[in-house]
Amino acid sequence: MIYFLAKRLMWLVITLWVVFTISFFLMWTVSPEGALLSERQLPEAIKRNLEEYYDLDKPLATRYVKTMGNYIALNPGPSMKLIDKSVFEIIAEGLPISISLGLLGLSFAMLIGFSSGIISALRRQSVIDVTFRMIATLGIAIPNFVLAGFAIIIFVFGLNLFPAAGWGRPINLVLPSLCLAAPFAAYISRLTRTGMLEVLGQDYIRTAYAKGLMPATVVLKHAFRGAILPVVSFLGPATAGILTGSLVLERIFFIPGLGSHFIEAVQQKDHPVSLAVVMIYTFLLFSMNTLVDLSYGLIDPRVKLDK
Amino acid sequence: MNWSIRGLFPYFFPLIFVVALFFALRMGSLPPADFTFSNGTEPQTVDPAKSTGAPEGRIIDAIFEGLYRKMPDPNDPNDMIPMPAMAKSHEVSDDLKTYTFHMREGTKWTNGEPVTAHDWDFSWQRFLHPESGTQYGYQLWYIKNAKRYTTGDFDVGDRVEVELADRKDRAQMYPRGTIVSGILKKVDTYPEGATKSEDDGHGGHGEGESTFKVFTVDCVPEKDGVPQWDGEKTTRVFYQSGMPKEYLAGHPKAEEAMHVLLHFSEVGIEAPDAKTLIIELESPTPYFLELASFYPMHAVNRTCIEKFGYPNWTKPENIVTNGPYQIQERRIRDRIRLAKNPTYWNADEVKLDTIDALAVQSNTTQLNMFMSGEMEWATDIPNPVLDDLKVMDEEKKKEPGREDERNDLLIAPMLSTYFYRVNTTRPPLDNPKVRQALNLAINKQEIVDFVTRGGQVPAGSLVPPGITGYEGPPTESYDPERARKLLEEALGGKKMRPITILYNTSEGHKSIAEVIQQQWKRNLHIDVQLRNVEWGVYLTTVREMDYDVARAGWIGDYPDPNTFLDMFVTGGENNETGWSNKKYDGLIEAARSEADPEKRFNMLRDAEEVLVDEMPILPIYFYVSINMVRPYVKNFYPNLQDLHPLHILEIDEQQREKIREWEGLE
Repeated sequence: MIYFLAKRLMWLVITLWVVFTISFFLMWTVSPEGALLSERQLPEAIKRNLEEYYDLDKPLATRYVKTMGNYIALNPGPSMKLIDKSVFEIIAEGLPISISLGLLGLSFAMLIGFSSGIISALRRQSVIDVTFRMIATLGIAIPNFVLAGFAIIIFVFGLNLFPAAGWGRPINLVLPSLCLAAPFAAYISRLTRTGMLEVLGQDYIRTAYAKGLMPATVVLKHAFRGAILPVVSFLGPATAGILTGSLVLERIFFIPGLGSHFIEAVQQKDHPVSLAVVMIYTFLLFSMNTLVDLSYGLIDPRVKLDK
Repeated sequence: MNWSIRGLFPYFFPLIFVVALFFALRMGSLPPADFTFSNGTEPQTVDPAKSTGAPEGRIIDAIFEGLYRKMPDPNDPNDMIPMPAMAKSHEVSDDLKTYTFHMREGTKWTNGEPVTAHDWDFSWQRFLHPESGTQYGYQLWYIKNAKRYTTGDFDVGDRVEVELADRKDRAQMYPRGTIVSGILKKVDTYPEGATKSEDDGHGGHGEGESTFKVFTVDCVPEKDGVPQWDGEKTTRVFYQSGMPKEYLAGHPKAEEAMHVLLHFSEVGIEAPDAKTLIIELESPTPYFLELASFYPMHAVNRTCIEKFGYPNWTKPENIVTNGPYQIQERRIRDRIRLAKNPTYWNADEVKLDTIDALAVQSNTTQLNMFMSGEMEWATDIPNPVLDDLKVMDEEKKKEPGREDERNDLLIAPMLSTYFYRVNTTRPPLDNPKVRQALNLAINKQEIVDFVTRGGQVPAGSLVPPGITGYEGPPTESYDPERARKLLEEALGGKKMRPITILYNTSEGHKSIAEVIQQQWKRNLHIDVQLRNVEWGVYLTTVREMDYDVARAGWIGDYPDPNTFLDMFVTGGENNETGWSNKKYDGLIEAARSEADPEKRFNMLRDAEEVLVDEMPILPIYFYVSINMVRPYVKNFYPNLQDLHPLHILEIDEQQREKIREWEGLE
């Protein structure tokens, strides 16, 4: 276990370093002026002063070493576009918002996914089952930002139920988290249904019924627990995907999360911010995958991590 | 162990949900503001000296105040004129080169200090200082010697100021290190990174190459902070910090200096007492009051900056301002909450207590928020829905009781031009007749009617109409017959080579380029290719002049033809067409020092005529400003520069209730 974690940690460092190096050089070679690039040409003297201010007059290799030093010290420096703010401040404001949006989405995804999956399995081949499966297929196929458009037309302008955009009040949270959750809910629903069908046919379920237990107890306590194993292995990538997948949704619903910062930083060529967000996404993906591997070991005794 | 973890699983998820909900709701503590508008994008900064762009301008104009302020003209609210603000009046000398501002009594910073002329002395020095990295620096270069101060352009015999390297924090400009004044005696220059002999072969290195300099200065004593130029001189040697040690071998006594600059007393900014500010200009600048009310030139508080340093002084809890509003809260890429400043000199006239400036990027989201009543003013409207919005305004007026309501959609001409640059160094585009032919063969009316559709005005020339007192030269409109003839004359019957239109990737630019492609093909039988590139590549390509014809746009900084015309002087930074014309350069230069406004406009008009004759650019249309504003927002006037002071806005509560009821908004 310890050995496994140590190995993973080492790989994490190497991955971060590789991603850092590639992103850094790509960004600065593709647009070497960064956010200073503007349609309005500045007089030579002013341009020189600005370049000096942002260290752009130094060779790329020097800046690479310096930036890496800053990252190791967890101080990525100032943003190039929002010059009043440091990259750290921007991330510190954006990350909790994205994480809470992601977790809300995840909770909705599981709530909807599990319940519809269980119902589908119990009412196999009924109208409900077919409807749920059809919706699930649609949910997987439609990207969340398309869904957001429909949701706004129906719930905001049609039914006047929710505000069009914003973040902070409870009512603001509903539409974005539901849209974010939809594809994942669909996937979880299908996995749960398959798992349940497999488990419901097993001997120990029949035993449980024979003992005279209530159907609800049998389903929730005995069958469900066995059925969610495939779902758990999906949850790792799903969590990473849901945390990093809110980019466009954040823009549509005007949520000041990490995704909004990332999109704008890339468009405005604010390289310090883009780089920091890329590093955070890398870290999130890597740690989520590690968590899933860990949870295999905890849930299924047959998996040995050290081998 | 395994069982227990599995057993805990169901309880784990509700926990996640609660934690997430807690984090998400932490943001919702702000009560709704009196007035909410979309500011487009997150302002880069609220430090006037470092700012450019409209979103920054709206915030800075609300929290700071300049000597003058652009306000709606009481006689014609759609015209904006500079009105007294922190200065209560001004006088101009007969040669129009000296402006004397008299400061208003009783104005205060939010930390209680009085606002004085010395604040401008300090702020404009900071603005011009090379270390500030001010993008708009050149806007104050109209002041005598200001350019020399910024660019470090001085010679032996000039008065200089030396800032010693004894700052408390080297990264902070203020408080400054010890300032030594003196007269420059000698400069020793060393090239960067090479021994002297190596660079001899190619003398191509101009002033732009960075070099290391050692300055020998005859220093003079100071009395009460004022240098005594006749005092006893002591010779000292200084070197710019960061200079490699090997060059210092010949200067054993050299002292490290942060900066050696032209002495600031040489710059035409002077505050003889707290209530008077005297500005001396290089040449008569009829639009200087416009500049004195332009947001980058607003003064900042010295105490605040010296105490907190940049960027900490801009934090809402530290910032000291003098305008009608204060920043109450700032959330990155969410909103800036402005609250009324009770110590503002004209606070009684400020109607709205709180204003939210939202940083909504997507214009569709903006429209959604406007339509669902979450926002009163949207600044960026998606083009495809303009027609629908116009119809909505018409429908609205048919309802009983709403006949006299103002339109929601406000469209007005703007001081801004959409045009194509022509690369005049590439044959056959180097022939003015070819360029004229290209211009005449564009049906601009068709473009504004069927592509842009926002009420834009076809452009015959560069300077947009609407500048008071200025009438542009006559221009020619769409004439394919004459275009064909001109092209034939120019090419002697040969077929024109295929040309390429360069534009940055965007649906709007693409549709216009496609229309022009067809028109040139149809009218002149020229094969036109379209080349769309990403924004950064586009800028570099244009700068390196690797194009035939390239899209461009220009927004005037102040309502004067000069802001457009001085772009195309020979070698101008924004010329980028390779075009050069002696007569044009001469006229622009002469207009710069002309004191009589009428003669000056005539010169500029003549210059524009040269431009129209030579056509280094193909004007397409003049932009319009498009705003969506609820009719119950009073004192909102469309104008040429699309400036809307926030502190004069007012909300008609009665009408607000009625309109929300009509529209079915809660």
